[in-house]
Amino acid sequence: MIQYIDMHAVLQQSVSSLYTDLVTRPTGRVVRERIEQAIAGLGGAEGAGGAGGAGGPDGAGEMTIARIDFAGVGCIDYSCADEIVAKLLRDRPAVLVLSGISEGHREAIEPVLTGHGLAALIERADGTLDVLGAKGAAAVLLDELVARRCAARRPGGTYALTLA
Amino acid sequence: MTRLVEVPAQFDDRSFDQFAGAFAEANKDAERLLFDAHAAEWASPYGLVGLLAAGQAARRGGSAGAADRPLLTAPTNPEVLSYWTRAGFFREAAELFEIHGKVPRAKAAEHSDVLLPVTPVRAAEDVHAVVSKIQQRASAILASELGLDPKATMGFAMALSEACQNIVEHAGTGGWVAVQAYHWRRKLARRVVVIAVADAGVGFRHSLEPTQSKRFGDRWGDAAALEAALVQGVSRFRDPGRGQGLAGIRRYLVRWDGKIAIRSGTARIAIVPKWDEDVPLKDGLPPFPGAQVLIIIPEQGSTEP
Repeated sequence: MIQYIDMHAVLQQSVSSLYTDLVTRPTGRVVRERIEQAIAGLGGAEGAGGAGGAGGPDGAGEMTIARIDFAGVGCIDYSCADEIVAKLLRDRPAVLVLSGISEGHREAIEPVLTGHGLAALIERADGTLDVLGAKGAAAVLLDELVARRCAARRPGGTYALTLA
Repeated sequence: MTRLVEVPAQFDDRSFDQFAGAFAEANKDAERLLFDAHAAEWASPYGLVGLLAAGQAARRGGSAGAADRPLLTAPTNPEVLSYWTRAGFFREAAELFEIHGKVPRAKAAEHSDVLLPVTPVRAAEDVHAVVSKIQQRASAILASELGLDPKATMGFAMALSEACQNIVEHAGTGGWVAVQAYHWRRKLARRVVVIAVADAGVGFRHSLEPTQSKRFGDRWGDAAALEAALVQGVSRFRDPGRGQGLAGIRRYLVRWDGKIAIRSGTARIAIVPKWDEDVPLKDGLPPFPGAQVLIIIPEQGSTEP
């Protein structure tokens, strides 16, 4: 099952709808809790929803994959990157696939993940995957996704999710 | 009895220690203070937010009544007065000081160099507002005038956010932030963007003492606390993810050849780029409450001093 999270929508529910930036720890905490609820299937976030019928092939069922779309999010600071992305990975074993990521988002998230020895995936517009964070953890993550048939190697050496 | 604290004519980070010394001397017997800025010729954003922090600290020492607010004589030079008003200083000062002198009616900062007028920071919501405002105002100046990659605007907002969050999470009181772009003739002969953040809260030593003082032993003090926070990235929280903010600011400044200096208590620490002659660590300075942060990002290109 891939859980789709619209980060901008979750942010707007969490703080004033005037703001589009993921900044401050309190904001990060509220956003993360909403995402955790969504991943746990509690439907706590309006911007969250399961990708219907996207249940993976046998063997993929135990792996929680959350596709978090950053489109519409302005800036994310280091505190929020830690509070949301790092803590989601640290406290709850899941695979995070980040889409709609800008260079600025990446600049905040990458060092935070690297510092914790964690990794996430970036899904580019063409569907190919890139890794973000600690190299060792990233390699393990990709291997595991391939082994569980959640991702596959494409011609040319790139990877893409096999699930919708 | 009223004690006089002279505001330096050129009031910036370099003259701040002189100001802090006068403040510490005058404030030690809890008398009412008069901050005399009538002869001020120029003040940087650092000077302005630092003066507000002094007003906050001086007020706290007495009763909360209006009559016990410290006094402030406004600059007499009309241009200086106009700039202080435009920079939003008097809007904030009105709550802290009994102001003497003619102060122009406050108006919105229309001057393009004032990227963010003096703005109070008390809660996370304020940080959201600051970050939102700076992205609207600063991107054009950062790219066209400082030659920063347009992508750097987001990093600038991140650095600003983290600097402001230090107040919310560690000061135990409110503080102020101001951002300005100006031509820095004295040092670089080029344009810079300056972020100044100040509070009169508990300061780094007090904030980190419960978790760090044992580790430092006899060395523990304001300088050690600043070193722990800025160089080692430690935080008062035991959460392993804490301490990201200052580390992130450092990374951003290394990339854009910028400078950060933090003064707290009796010490001041700086990450000094090649173009600057500041010292990395100073101890034994006149005591001043809270923390004062200065971030400078220069116009890109050659930054030979």
